[in-house]
Amino acid sequence: MSSGDASQAVALLAGLELLTAVLLAWRGPASSPRGPLAVQGFALAGLVAVIGVAEGEPVLWLVALLVGVLKGVVLPTLVVRRPSRAAGPAAPPAADRPATVRPVVRPAVVRGRSRVPLLLGAAGLVVVAYLAARPVTRVVTGATGQALPVGFALVLVGFALLATGRRSQSQLVGFLVLDNGIATTAFLATGGVPLVVELGVSLDVLLVVLVLQVLGSRIDTAFGAGAPGGTDLDQLRELHD
Amino acid sequence: MSGVRLGLLTVLGLALVAAVAGGALGTAARQRVSPLLGALVGAAAVWTGALAWSGGTGRVVVGTVLPGVTAAYAPDRLGGAFLVLVGGVTVLASVWAFDGARGTAASRTAWVAYPLFVLGLLGVMAAADVVAFLLAWEVMAVASAVLVLADHARRPEVVGAGLWYAGMTQLSFLLVLGGFAVLASAAGGTGWSDLARLAPDAGATGAGVGLLLLGFVTKAGAVPVHVWLPRAHPEAPSHVSALMSAAMVKAGVYGVLLVVVRLLPAGPSWWGLALLVVGSASAVFGILQAGVAADLKRLLAYSTTENVGLILVAVGAAQVTTARGDVETGHVLLVAALLLTFGHAAAKSVLFLTAGSVLHATGLRDLDRLGGLGRTMPWTCGAFGVAALGAAGLPVTAGFVAEWTLLQALVHAGGPADPRLGLVSALAVTVVALTAGLALMTFTKAFGIAFLGRPRSDGAAAAHEVGRAERLAAAVGALAVLGLGLVPGPMATAAVRALGVDGVTAAGTTLAAGVRLGGVAPAPGSAGEAASGTAALVPVLDPLALGLAALAALVVVAGVVARLRRRAPRRAVELGWGCGGARVSPRMQYTATSYAEPLVRIFDAPLGVSRSVATTTADAPYVVRAMSFRQRVRDVFEEHGYRPLLRAAARVGDAGRALHNGSVHRYLAWSFATFVVVLGLAAR
Repeated sequence: MSSGDASQAVALLAGLELLTAVLLAWRGPASSPRGPLAVQGFALAGLVAVIGVAEGEPVLWLVALLVGVLKGVVLPTLVVRRPSRAAGPAAPPAADRPATVRPVVRPAVVRGRSRVPLLLGAAGLVVVAYLAARPVTRVVTGATGQALPVGFALVLVGFALLATGRRSQSQLVGFLVLDNGIATTAFLATGGVPLVVELGVSLDVLLVVLVLQVLGSRIDTAFGAGAPGGTDLDQLRELHD
Repeated sequence: MSGVRLGLLTVLGLALVAAVAGGALGTAARQRVSPLLGALVGAAAVWTGALAWSGGTGRVVVGTVLPGVTAAYAPDRLGGAFLVLVGGVTVLASVWAFDGARGTAASRTAWVAYPLFVLGLLGVMAAADVVAFLLAWEVMAVASAVLVLADHARRPEVVGAGLWYAGMTQLSFLLVLGGFAVLASAAGGTGWSDLARLAPDAGATGAGVGLLLLGFVTKAGAVPVHVWLPRAHPEAPSHVSALMSAAMVKAGVYGVLLVVVRLLPAGPSWWGLALLVVGSASAVFGILQAGVAADLKRLLAYSTTENVGLILVAVGAAQVTTARGDVETGHVLLVAALLLTFGHAAAKSVLFLTAGSVLHATGLRDLDRLGGLGRTMPWTCGAFGVAALGAAGLPVTAGFVAEWTLLQALVHAGGPADPRLGLVSALAVTVVALTAGLALMTFTKAFGIAFLGRPRSDGAAAAHEVGRAERLAAAVGALAVLGLGLVPGPMATAAVRALGVDGVTAAGTTLAAGVRLGGVAPAPGSAGEAASGTAALVPVLDPLALGLAALAALVVVAGVVARLRRRAPRRAVELGWGCGGARVSPRMQYTATSYAEPLVRIFDAPLGVSRSVATTTADAPYVVRAMSFRQRVRDVFEEHGYRPLLRAAARVGDAGRALHNGSVHRYLAWSFATFVVVLGLAAR
C-alpha cells in the first residue's frame, strides 16, 4: 500500500466515523443507536489496521482486531440491551414495592425534541475542532495528520451528546462517541498505540459501560421505564446529603 | 555537632515521641507520660533557645515532599529568645496538665495534637527560610485548632469557637503565605538573608510587608482581627489557653519583629505608623472589653488583646522613631517591646492556669458566681494575685518594668527637634496611660470578685485547693513574674542582645530614660556614659529599690494592723440592716457586673451594651415580686464588621446554588463548556 493510498483510506475511514457521529446526533428517540455505533467501531478498527499496514507493524493488527470486536460488536450490543426480567432475579410484584416508590407510567410514544439545533451545533463543533487542531496538525505530518481534526470533532460531538442526552441510553452513546474520538486522536497522532495501553483502555471502557448499563437498569426498575432508552434523567435532580 | 543543632534535633525527636505516645498509650499511662514528655520538650526548647540567644548557631535541614525544596531551621538570637519563651510556657503548661488536664482535654487526640502544636510554635521561632516558617506555621495552626475543639462533643459553643478560630487562623496563614510569596519572588530566594537584601521602599516590598503585617497581627489577636481570641481562649482547655495566649499569640509578635526589625530595619515610617494605630486600637478596645467581661477566661482573653496592642505600640513607635532618625529611643522602645512580651507571657500563663484551677475547683468561669476563693484556695489565690499585679502593670512585677520603660521612652521620643514625632508619641502615651488605668480596674475586679468576699454560689462555696502539680506550675510562674520585675537587668541586657541593637548605647539611653535596669552598665566614653551624666535631671527608678520600699511599707502596715488588733479586741457586729457596712448576705456584695457598671456607662457606645430589666409585680403595682436584670456586651467589630461580611458571603453562596441544581445535564454542560473554552485558549 503506497502512502497515497494509505492517506486516502485514512481520510475515508475518518470521514465515516464523523458521519456516524452526526447520524447518532440526528437519530430520533425511537431509533436504535446500534447500527451507527457498530459502523463507527469498525471504522476505527479499520483505521488502526490501515495504520498498521502503512507503518509495517503487525502488532497493530492485533490491536485492530481487539478494537473491532469490542467497539464494533460488544459495546453497541451492551448499550441497546434491555434488562431482561426473565433472566435476572424476579422483579418484585407491584404490591411489595415500598410505598414511596411510585412507578411513573409514561406514554409509549415520546414526543421527540427538534434535532436541528443539535445538528447545527455539531457542525459548529466540527469547525471548532478543525481550528483547535491546527497547532497539532502542524506538528504531525504525513497520512494521519490531515485526519487528526476528526478525532477532535468526535470528542466534541460525543461530549455534546453526553451533555444533552435526556435518557441514560443516549448519554451512554455520547460517552462511547467521546471515547472513540479519544482513541482516534491517539492513533492518528502517535501512529499507533502499544498493545498494553490499548488493552487497559479497552477494559476501562468496557467496565464503565457495564456499570452504567447496570445503573441505568436499576433506575429504570425503580422509577419505571416509560419510554425506549430509559428514564428521563431530568426528573432525577433532587440533591440529597 | 553544635549545641543548637543537637538541641533542635532533641526537640524534634521528643515532640514526635510525645505525639506517638499520646496516640498509643492507654488512659492511665497517658496521663502520666504525656505531660512529662511535654515538659521535656519545653525544657529542651529552653536549653536550645538559651544557646541560640547567647550566640550559638546550628542548622537542621528538613526535606519536603517536593524535590529540591527543603526547610532549614537555624534560630538566631531573636529566635532563641522566643524559643526560651515558648519553651518556658510549655514547661509550665505541661506540669499543670499532670493534674489539670482531665476528661476531653486529656483525650488521645488532644495529647497527640499538643506536642505537635508546641513543635509548630518552636519551628516558627527557629525557621531560617520562608518554607520552614510556613510549614511550622501551618502545623501550629492546625494542631491548635484540634486542641480548641477538644470539648466539642459536650458543649456546642466550642464548635462555634472552633469554626471562628479555624477560619481566622487560616486567613492569617493565607495572608502570611501571600506576603512571603511576594517578597520571595521579588528577592529571588526564600532564605532570610535573601529577603534582607530587598529594597525597603520598593512597591513590591511594601505590598508584601503589608500582607505579612496583616497576617501576623491576625495571629497576634489585634483589633480588628481579634474576633477568634475571646472565643477560642475561653473554650480551649486551660493549659492550651495558657499556651495559646502566652506563646502562640507571640508568634504573631515574633513575625512582626522578624519583618520590621530583623529583615528590613530600614523600612519607611508608614509600617510603624500602621502598627501604632492597630496597637493603640487593640490596647484600648481590649482592656475596655476585659473591664466589662464577667467570664474570667474571656476577661483574660481580651486582656491578651490589650497586651498585644501595647507590644505593637512599642514596636510601631520604635520603627517610626528609628525611621525619623532617633535611633537610640527606637532601641529602647524595642527593648520595652521584648520586656512586655516576656512579662505578659509569664503573667498570662499563670493567670490562665489558675483560672483553669478555679474552673476545676468550682466548675465556674462566671465571676458573678465566684467569690471567697482566697480562703479555700490560698496557693491559687496567691499566684493569681501576683500575676494580676503583673498584668495590671503594678510595681515589683515584670509588667511594671516593661510599661514604665515604654512610657519613659515614649515621653522622650521626638522632643522639640521633631514636633510631628512628638505629637505621635504624645498620643501613644495617652493610650498607654488610659490602658494602664483600665487594666488596674480590670484586674482589681478579677482578683477581688473571685478570691475575696464571700462565695456567691454553692459551687464557689464548695471549692477546694487543687492538686500539687497545678499549684507548682502556678507558683513557679508567679516567681518568674516577680523575678523579672525585681531584677530586670539581666533580662534587659539579654533583650538588647536578642534585638541586635547596639547594646551599650541602648542601655545608656535606657538609663537616661528613667529606668535603672541593674546589670547594664554603660561602657566608658560611650554615648551611654554621657547620658548617664545627665541622669540626675531625670527621675530614675530602680525596681529593686522600689521592691524593698514596698516590702518596708508592707512591714509597717502589718505592724500597725497587728498593734491595732491587739488594742481593740474583736467584737461581733450585729446589725439588723446592711447600710452600716456589714455584708449580711453574699448577694449584697459587689458583683463583676456591678463593679464594671461605671465603665459600661462611660463607654456605652463603643462597647455596644444592651440591657433589659424585667419586673414582676404582684396584684398591686408597687408590690414587686421579682426583678431580673440582663446585660449583654457585644463586640462592635463583630457586630458591624464580620456579621455583614458573613451575610454577604452567604448570599453569594446562595446565588451560586443556581449554578448547580442537581441535574446531571447541567453539570455535564459546565464541564463541556469549560473543555471547549480551554481547547479554544490552547489553540490560540
